[in-house]
Amino acid sequence: MPTATVFDIKRNSYVDGPGIRTTVFLKGCNLRCAWCHSPESQRAEKEILFYRDRCVGCGRCAGISVKDENFVCYSGAKEICGKDYSVEELAGIILRDKVFYDATGGGVTFSGGECMLQEEFLAKILSRCKQSGVGTAVDTAGNVPWESFEKILSCTDYFLYDLKCVSPDLHLAGTGVSNERILTNLSRLCASCPDRVIIRVPVVPGFNTGKDELEKMAAFLGTLRFKKLELLPYHKMGEAKYAALGLEMKAFDLPSDELMEKCEKILRGL
Amino acid sequence: MEFYTSSKEKRPVRLSEETRRFAYESLNHKYGLDTLATPYITLDGYGDTGSLQQLLRMYDAAIGAIVENAPVRVCEHELVSGAATLGQAIGNSVPVLISGLSCRFMPGNSHLTADFSEVLAIGMDGIREKALRSLENHQNEEKKAFLRSCIHCIDCMRIWRDRYLDELKKRPWAERNIKNLLQVPFRPAGNFYEAVQCIWFCFAFMRLCGVWPGFGRIDVLLGGYLKKDLTDGSLTLDEAREILAHFFIKGCEWITGKETYGGDAQHYQNIVLSGIGEDGRDVTNEVTYLVLDIVEETGISDFPVSVRVNGQTDEKLLRRVGEVISFGGGIVAVYNEDTVIRAFERMGYGSAEARNFANDGCWEVQIPGKTRFDYDPFDGLLLLQKITLRDYDGRAVFNSFDELLEKYEADLKKHVGIIFDSAATPRFDGNMKHIRHAPCTVLSLFVQDCVGRGLSYLEGGPVYEIISPHIGGLPDVANSLYAIKKAVFDDRLVSFPRLLEILKNNWEGEEELRLRILNGYRYFGNDNDEVDMIAARILDSFSASCEAYDRKTPARFVSGVSTFGRQVPWASERLAAPFGRKKGDVLSGNLSPTPGTDRDGATAIIRSYCKADLSKQGTGAALDIGLIPAGADRESAVTDAVGLIKGFAALGGFFMQIDTVDRNVLIEAQKNPQNYQNLSVRVSGWNARFVTMGKDWQDMIIERTH
Repeated sequence: MPTATVFDIKRNSYVDGPGIRTTVFLKGCNLRCAWCHSPESQRAEKEILFYRDRCVGCGRCAGISVKDENFVCYSGAKEICGKDYSVEELAGIILRDKVFYDATGGGVTFSGGECMLQEEFLAKILSRCKQSGVGTAVDTAGNVPWESFEKILSCTDYFLYDLKCVSPDLHLAGTGVSNERILTNLSRLCASCPDRVIIRVPVVPGFNTGKDELEKMAAFLGTLRFKKLELLPYHKMGEAKYAALGLEMKAFDLPSDELMEKCEKILRGL
Repeated sequence: MEFYTSSKEKRPVRLSEETRRFAYESLNHKYGLDTLATPYITLDGYGDTGSLQQLLRMYDAAIGAIVENAPVRVCEHELVSGAATLGQAIGNSVPVLISGLSCRFMPGNSHLTADFSEVLAIGMDGIREKALRSLENHQNEEKKAFLRSCIHCIDCMRIWRDRYLDELKKRPWAERNIKNLLQVPFRPAGNFYEAVQCIWFCFAFMRLCGVWPGFGRIDVLLGGYLKKDLTDGSLTLDEAREILAHFFIKGCEWITGKETYGGDAQHYQNIVLSGIGEDGRDVTNEVTYLVLDIVEETGISDFPVSVRVNGQTDEKLLRRVGEVISFGGGIVAVYNEDTVIRAFERMGYGSAEARNFANDGCWEVQIPGKTRFDYDPFDGLLLLQKITLRDYDGRAVFNSFDELLEKYEADLKKHVGIIFDSAATPRFDGNMKHIRHAPCTVLSLFVQDCVGRGLSYLEGGPVYEIISPHIGGLPDVANSLYAIKKAVFDDRLVSFPRLLEILKNNWEGEEELRLRILNGYRYFGNDNDEVDMIAARILDSFSASCEAYDRKTPARFVSGVSTFGRQVPWASERLAAPFGRKKGDVLSGNLSPTPGTDRDGATAIIRSYCKADLSKQGTGAALDIGLIPAGADRESAVTDAVGLIKGFAALGGFFMQIDTVDRNVLIEAQKNPQNYQNLSVRVSGWNARFVTMGKDWQDMIIERTH
């Protein structure tokens, strides 16, 4: 029985695909984006988050490890990040909001991390959801073998595909990996099911907002057929989680309305 | 000149610049402050209030003094005329000082929807005729006195109308206003404009005399007139929108910006839109959409709007509702009419009557224009703490959870009996006839069948009479019982006597246990069947307890669920709660989760709320939902609001109010009220400008917003 490591489940989410959705966040990613807003999503292994300011010093957590996944810190200072779910357990939670999906053309979105790294489980849960009439979406950065896409193509209604930039060096500098495979996969995916691809570009000032890069992206997008393009403004909401993991957060400027407008214009070729 | 919104997007503009300015001034207190300038009319020589007969004479004199002396206010270029210009009327009392004494012993009355359909059809002259006929038919002297008072009050209304005509004649622009007032409200309304003027004039007259009536189904009342005018080309949709907008703007004439108990817009003047009619067909028409246009553009929240939805509601209407909701202000709420109609049929109303439901000017449902409604709120959590758990003094002993739950249900049943004895029984004499009551003739003119029966609103005139015990704090009760079940009986974290001791000491020195119980379990509002079914079971037994007393008097006795804002004053009376909350915490409002315990989002809240059979709550059960304002992607936020409404209807919800407001903005508004004069929030059956609420009320709104 395959299980997946999940680090969050968000009900009544309406920004990760059409309609009202439940977004399931799978743990582990093979990118290390400098602007990542969920640092706890990156490592595949379970982790302990510690929010120092909430700690009341009760000492109950002495000696706990990531294996104690049912441990609850009652003041909310310590969190075991990552919990294993079977397909049926997860389906049970997802199905609770079916009436809301049906009302809005929504469904479930698997996100991460990189949910496609847990491909076997992903294929099973996607087909389980489809069986019960739940719409499905996969939020991916696309840095996986093309075969992984083939495995889930038949049971995924939408791909929310992240496009960070097209210049390979820039991609390497910003995410720790090159983007050849990512771009090839995106092209193939758009060729095979354009109506199901929603391309999402994070707008990160100082990373991908130079005129040159934006124009390159626009040119690349011009070669593709897809359903929709979404621009996601960079935000700093992950700050507390970086601290809780003992990590430094690299801060970028927040994109101004004018910058967002400029990016919209160039990327949409207006 | 912009109207406040919590959305990034600006409100649309459809109305003329002049109308928008009028709205802006009205919202910014111009007419409210003018209304406060004359608080009441004085009347001397009526010192003796000894008998009800004398009181009726005094009432008639008071109404006479009001119509002769209340300031006449005509606003430049107003399309609709008439104004409730006495300050004390804002407080729901007859604004007359008699021989130096406040007239407060004459009730102002609220919590009802007045009947406007009769005056539209036959005019006040027609109602006067009816009163004259009734006078001939009745021999009883008390009834005759009441009917004479009815005729007197209609004649008073004419004096008041004539004063407006005199004033309007001085204005060169007012020809149409004069023409309208020569027709309505005394003669039947012949077109949309006259119908709007008629309803407004009667409404303003009632308000001037201290009554707070609700409107009910305004699209049903006006839709036919508008359709006719549009068809024969005598009016355009844009003209109709302007006229109706003036009706809404005039409704802001009591906005003073001053702090009051529940905020400055609590006058029980709800409007209900859409839904099915008596024949089962959808009544939605152009007026439905005009109302939504107007509140969307101006953000006027003084007539809280509720839309009746069902499984078949047109997607177009739902989207309009979602769009209006996404601008914030909490103006539009929804009824799921499938549940409401089922509740009314269960109570024994005929299908046609049940399908025509509206509310009482607040959100409790009733048959409009025919109902006297009273509710008796009580604190279900206090009952658990004081009676079932005996003030935590150690005398309460339970060996199992079921034993505890059964004892609470028994205590609840007993409490319902106490309410019946104190609220229902004293209303009637030995023959189950209403005992005589202080006069309320003006209101009685607009409630069926007071004139026909020769009985006032408070003396058995209305066709239906409802007394409804309303339980409050129900989610807190379910959470408390669930916490005891888990911590004491299932997980054995603490013994029952020890927990009571800890609660008595308000969790002092037991912070770890408190946090463990508070954060270690999933409470009502998280779609956890175990706790939700405790709430559902208590609601069932509550409604059954009420049913046992139903039909024992001429007044029906049915259950409902609400706190409105009572959770604020209740906080100081309550003890610490077993689910980890301390004495003094403001807890659950209406049937909404206790603030801070809901972690799984709006869909989970709606699911928890819908698990009980809400059709057993005959006068309603409200859910409050707070949504985060839309960012750049407004479209998704609208879809979300629509989806929540559809899910709520599909799952069997009753009434839901959605507010869209950012918690940080509220905190900022608390600090700098001058910048947020028009920030409106949904309180319960009413909206309030946030800055006019007391601090503890503001805190309650902030805490419940996610």
